[in-house]
Amino acid sequence: MRIIVPIRQILDPRGFTVSPRHERIFINREEYIINPNDKNALEVALSLKDAGDAEVIVIAGGQARLDDALREAMAMGADAAYLLTDEVLAKTDAAGVAEALARGIEKIGDFDLIVVGQETLDTADALLGPWLAEYFGVAQVGGVRQASVSDGVLRVRRDWGAGYAEVEVALPALLTVAPGANKPRYPHGGRIMAAYREWQVNIWGSEDLGLSAADLILLTQRRGRTFPPERTLGERLTGSPQDVAAELVQQLRLRGLVG
Amino acid sequence: MTVIYKVTVTLTCGRIIMDFALTDEQRMFQKMFADFAEKEVKPIGEQADYEELLPMEVLQKAAMQGFMGALFPEECSGACLDFVSYIMLLEELAKADVTTAMAVSVHNGLAGKTILDFGSAEQREKYLEPMAFGEMIGAFALTEPAAGSDAAALESTALRDGDDYVLNGNKIWVSNGGIAGLFVVFAKTDPGAGAKGISAFIVERDAPGLKVGRREKTLGLRGLTITPLYMTDCRVPAANLLGEEGQGFKIALQALNVARLSLSAVALGACQRAVEEGIAFSIEHTQFGGPIALKQAIQNFVADSAAEIEGLRWLVYHTAWLAEQGEPFAQEAAIAKLLASEAAFRIANRMVQVHGGYGYMKEYAIERIYRDTRALPIIEGANEVLRFVIARDLYDQAGLKIKP
Amino acid sequence: MDFTFPKEYELFRRMVREFAENEVRPLAKKIDAEHRVPFETIKKAAKLGLMGVPFPRKYGGCGAGEIGYCILMEELGRVCTSTATVIGAHTGIGAMAIYLDGTEEQKEKYLKPLASGEKIGAFALTEAQAGSDAAAIKTRAVRDGDYYVLNGSKCFITNGDIADIITVMAVTDPSLGARGGVTAFIVEKEFPGFSIGTLENKMGIRGSSTAELIFEDCRVPKENVLGQFGAGFITFMKTLDVGRASLAAACLGGAQAAMEAAMKWAKARTQFGVPIAQKQSVHFAIADMATEIEALRSLVYRTAWLIDTGQPHIKEAAMCKLYGSEVASRCINRTLQIFGGMGYSREFWVERAFRDARIAEIFEGTNEIQRIVIASNLFRELGLRISP
Ligand SMILES: Cc1cc2nc3c(=O)[nH]c(=O)nc-3n(C[C@H](O)[C@H](O)[C@H](O)COP(=O)(O)OP(=O)(O)OC[C@H]3O[C@@H](n4cnc5c(N)ncnc54)[C@H](O)[C@@H]3O)c2cc1C
Ligand SMILES: Cc1cc2nc3c(=O)[nH]c(=O)nc-3n(C[C@H](O)[C@H](O)[C@H](O)COP(=O)(O)OP(=O)(O)OC[C@H]3O[C@@H](n4cnc5c(N)ncnc54)[C@H](O)[C@@H]3O)c2cc1C
Repeated sequence: MRIIVPIRQILDPRGFTVSPRHERIFINREEYIINPNDKNALEVALSLKDAGDAEVIVIAGGQARLDDALREAMAMGADAAYLLTDEVLAKTDAAGVAEALARGIEKIGDFDLIVVGQETLDTADALLGPWLAEYFGVAQVGGVRQASVSDGVLRVRRDWGAGYAEVEVALPALLTVAPGANKPRYPHGGRIMAAYREWQVNIWGSEDLGLSAADLILLTQRRGRTFPPERTLGERLTGSPQDVAAELVQQLRLRGLVG
Repeated sequence: MTVIYKVTVTLTCGRIIMDFALTDEQRMFQKMFADFAEKEVKPIGEQADYEELLPMEVLQKAAMQGFMGALFPEECSGACLDFVSYIMLLEELAKADVTTAMAVSVHNGLAGKTILDFGSAEQREKYLEPMAFGEMIGAFALTEPAAGSDAAALESTALRDGDDYVLNGNKIWVSNGGIAGLFVVFAKTDPGAGAKGISAFIVERDAPGLKVGRREKTLGLRGLTITPLYMTDCRVPAANLLGEEGQGFKIALQALNVARLSLSAVALGACQRAVEEGIAFSIEHTQFGGPIALKQAIQNFVADSAAEIEGLRWLVYHTAWLAEQGEPFAQEAAIAKLLASEAAFRIANRMVQVHGGYGYMKEYAIERIYRDTRALPIIEGANEVLRFVIARDLYDQAGLKIKP
Repeated sequence: MDFTFPKEYELFRRMVREFAENEVRPLAKKIDAEHRVPFETIKKAAKLGLMGVPFPRKYGGCGAGEIGYCILMEELGRVCTSTATVIGAHTGIGAMAIYLDGTEEQKEKYLKPLASGEKIGAFALTEAQAGSDAAAIKTRAVRDGDYYVLNGSKCFITNGDIADIITVMAVTDPSLGARGGVTAFIVEKEFPGFSIGTLENKMGIRGSSTAELIFEDCRVPKENVLGQFGAGFITFMKTLDVGRASLAAACLGGAQAAMEAAMKWAKARTQFGVPIAQKQSVHFAIADMATEIEALRSLVYRTAWLIDTGQPHIKEAAMCKLYGSEVASRCINRTLQIFGGMGYSREFWVERAFRDARIAEIFEGTNEIQRIVIASNLFRELGLRISP
């Protein structure tokens, strides 16, 4: 079984702070990470691979820095990676990327399943899943939590109101995975080394995909930005529940709020 | 290790200008303290640490020797020790076990001496005798969650209500809290007035509205039963006000002067014990074909430590002597505490090193001494604050006011 | 000159940090209080290859070399020195000896399961009368047909009671002394005649176990001689050299965490009407910490680079261990002071970190021994041999 997982990248939210007061974003550390929801998607794909015979291919489109995201995905367990990038692709928007990804997936060849993260954390756009499903004309299941395959039929657990629904889909199909659907695995230490030292990321440019700048007219336009109203933030405690509780009690005590 | 040199410096014309000698009585006391500490205290150190509780029998036995009323006059069944002797008592106890020495010091110095100095005749009569007999252990409750180094920022209140004061607020880090029968508690009778609004009270353990909290688990001094105190409409008879209303901060500062001196004596004792342990281990323990004591690295550790101890000894004794003379000794006490507490930890740390891997094992006393001594640079005024206190005094004399 | 980490190491660090934060930190206080080894963490670490970071991938390791291994130790040192110690004794000295001097068969048989974390390793050198003076070991190994028969005991062996595969130093020819008379053996815990003695009750790193090992006519097949016969001293010296750099990396993590904790606390804690972070006593403590930590970081990773590129590194590794352990102790000591009374309380991380940090000045060769190693290397350049 061949599973395709598109990967997107976002600026690590731990590296910047948004200041409504100054109407500015202060970037302390510019580091890009895999869109967390895409990691959930990858985890669904990798767990299918764990359970049976499957090849997981990751693909990303846009800027050259996506190379790191793809290598991380390989370190997590993906078997091959494709990066769609060149000057044209680097400048397009989410819709352009979706189109490029569709062409890229087509070029890779037949697939049984595409697994996509439902949305991106930064711009919260959720267009990639539907775009690809439409492009390939395959069934799409949204809000996916888990998936398993038996006898060529995909069984999927998806969100359903306050609970879950189990659905069966014929392959090929496309799944959009719910944010936080699972705890994605850590990349494996040895695979991290191999991902950079031994394995390749295949690179295709817009021409390889039969796309030109004219095909990739921006559908969206950035007009500026507004900030949410300022609110007084509390202090965030991190650590294990025990540590957090101890710290909380301590902080309350320090402020004389409890005895 | 305890050798108090009988040194008399004389001028050629025969006038005595300085006298470092202990009196015969003091020498006798010293021996008695050392015997007691060696016999009764040393054996319980490991257990008290492990069980996180000081066996009450030790304090009872100390009381029988008069050590629980060390500074009290005879009419209160006290031993009426002079300050130098008292300091020697703490030093000897600390050689045996730092925790026991701290418990005795808090009881005698912070609680007992405060009642002795500021208490009314009735208060002295009522409390000092049971304290001297070890029936009532004393504790001192100044620190609060938001008021550590900045003790004047304390927020507990004590409001007059008829014949009582009603106390509200929380105290933390009360040494002896687990075993104390009485607490010297600081609270604001005039909440708007800052340090000048603080008053001191004697609060008995069974005072209505007083709750002794769960024991604080600590790095060392584990036998000291340090607890918080929670006061919710805690009623204390007006007769238990120590000194006058508004005098509390002054009382606390004076108590802390004594406490700093006492603590430096405890530290001095701890230093000596640590070196004793290090010397013994380095003689017994062989590496490279001979006792490790033959290595200069070890000798240097011992020599540096001895040099520091010798300097400290005279600083501490001199401060005690000043106190005994009724001279001001706040500055000297702060200096003694600063130097002694850092030396104690530094020396304990070195002696752990001398022990090699064994120093990391609970079987060896040095492991405990290392943890115990680490408290000393924090308590009775964190050392950073003491540095301020010392500098403030000097700048004061030079005509400049500085703030913490 | 390029001081940046290659990208694989950046990703590796990010992974290890997340692992440390999410899987190791939540257990750190517990394993200290309960005095137990975190087997659940070891299992999870094994799945990610973290039990064999420095070893080549063909032996089931990560192929991340000493640099990668130092990253692991640094990140573990930030959150839990006990866990770092368990993994360190396993990887950095236990398995390392086999990697450095094992035959291909031994690596196949022993290094592989160690690197994959299926089996746990330990390194047994120290004896009651042979700590710093490792040459004074008394454990004897006598040839008996296809076997060596070991008799004696080892003390203070990290992982000793949980290890499956232990590298043991024993005397094979007392007349030759350390040079030529000591041989390293690979001992499996199932070998007849091997047993575990008492466990130590320690000040810190209580989430790691420290055991006495007893060998009573313990029969070890002759194929399990590690390295050259009679050259055990060289094996363990080489092993410890490598171990020291990574130990310093754990210290680096501890020191860094201490500084960060101190800063956070100083910012939150108000006395005299202002955060204590406004006081110069605090500023200077932080500045000193930061400076020492930065120097240590350079030293550690440069030494790791020396090791990975096959350059001489004995002196530098000793410097790492010496300076690293002292910086860590100093930093955590300053942090404890900045926490005031709260630093003395077992409710907080600081108290545990303070106890944990103290060991680094003692084990894997005390700091005095490191000074001797450094000095003797320096004097050797002048043609003078110094004795310890
Ligand atoms: C084992 C133990 C026993 C104790 N027993 C008692 C007891 O019996 N009774 C009692 O009342 N209290 C007791 N205490 C409390 C002790 O006196 C306080 O911990 C101490 O005063 C420090 O206060 P803090 O812990 O709130 O630290 P903080 O005051 O918060 O200080 C934190 C750090 O900031 C530094 N700092 C604070 N202000 C300044 C400044 N202006 N300039 C520079 N640095 C500054 C301090 O030096 C310290 O390093 C005990 C504490 C311990 C650990
Ligand atoms: C928690 C823990 C875990 C350990 N884990 C392991 C392990 O996994 N495997 C293992 O083999 N060992 C292990 N050890 C042993 C450790 O390596 C030894 O404790 C260390 O080498 C010191 O030896 P020692 O304890 O016998 O001290 P000693 O060697 O007796 O040293 C005592 C003191 O003498 C000093 N000294 C000794 N010789 C000289 C000299 N020539 N010049 C100057 N000073 C000198 C030392 O520096 C030290 O200060 C562990 C120890 C501990 C505490």
